[in-house]
Amino acid sequence: MSTAALGHLVGYRLPEGTFTITEHDNRLLSEAVETAAPDDGVAHPAFAYVATQRGVGIGIDEVFRLAECPMDDGPMLGSTDLEFAEPLRIGVAYRVRGEIVDIRRKQGARIGTFDVLTIQEELVDERDVAVAVIRNEFILPRRQD
Amino acid sequence: MEMEIPGDLGPWVVDAVRPDNMRLLAQALADPNPIHLDRDAVRQLGLGDRLINQGPANFAYVLNMLRDAVPGAEIRGLRVRLLSNVFEGERVEAAGKVVSVDEDGDERRVECQVWLDAEGGRRAIEGTATLVSAPG
Repeated sequence: MSTAALGHLVGYRLPEGTFTITEHDNRLLSEAVETAAPDDGVAHPAFAYVATQRGVGIGIDEVFRLAECPMDDGPMLGSTDLEFAEPLRIGVAYRVRGEIVDIRRKQGARIGTFDVLTIQEELVDERDVAVAVIRNEFILPRRQD
Repeated sequence: MEMEIPGDLGPWVVDAVRPDNMRLLAQALADPNPIHLDRDAVRQLGLGDRLINQGPANFAYVLNMLRDAVPGAEIRGLRVRLLSNVFEGERVEAAGKVVSVDEDGDERRVECQVWLDAEGGRRAIEGTATLVSAPG
């Protein structure tokens, strides 16, 4: 299997979904990353990652499966680019939309052949404003190639 | 009130990355990746014998550092590369430095270099961040 064989994935629009950050979610995430959850209605900014991953209408494991990389192969996050128009808020029902924007074959000294899968997602509020845009590059090991 | 922008940001420290927090984050992310939950899975992939912290946790530490270092500023951007894994039990330190401050109308834009170092000074994350605050 080569990147060319997966090229059809570029431009694939992930099924849309929604995500509402609850106070419970915010406390759980804040505890997991060793910080306090302030009581001001603002969610931890890492929710740009969490809310897009959970809210979009397809699981991240299924996205990796589309790219022929099951979870057992150890896909990993390689880079993240977050942009915020404003802070994320608890209780807002964000629409989540996303797209596979690139997949590229590479070689690394440590892990050998791998693909870089780039996904861009947005959290869109009730005014139709994309309040957060996230672009993630995932490293997909290709150990058998 | 004028907000003071320090030149050096952090450090913000986790003394030992905890497996129970990896389980919590896996739950928050709905992410079943076994390298965060199952030491046998880590061994089978040849990645060592300790659980591997989630990448989003590592950049969340950098976000925590920014929120603590410049309280009241809004985080408008974070661009990071994840350079090496962080393992259970490791001490990590998030820090950064301000590289420019620009007044732009009714806001002050602060550009920063940021990083997360693990044991032995191994760099786990590096990148840049953009903060916005009221003008000084």
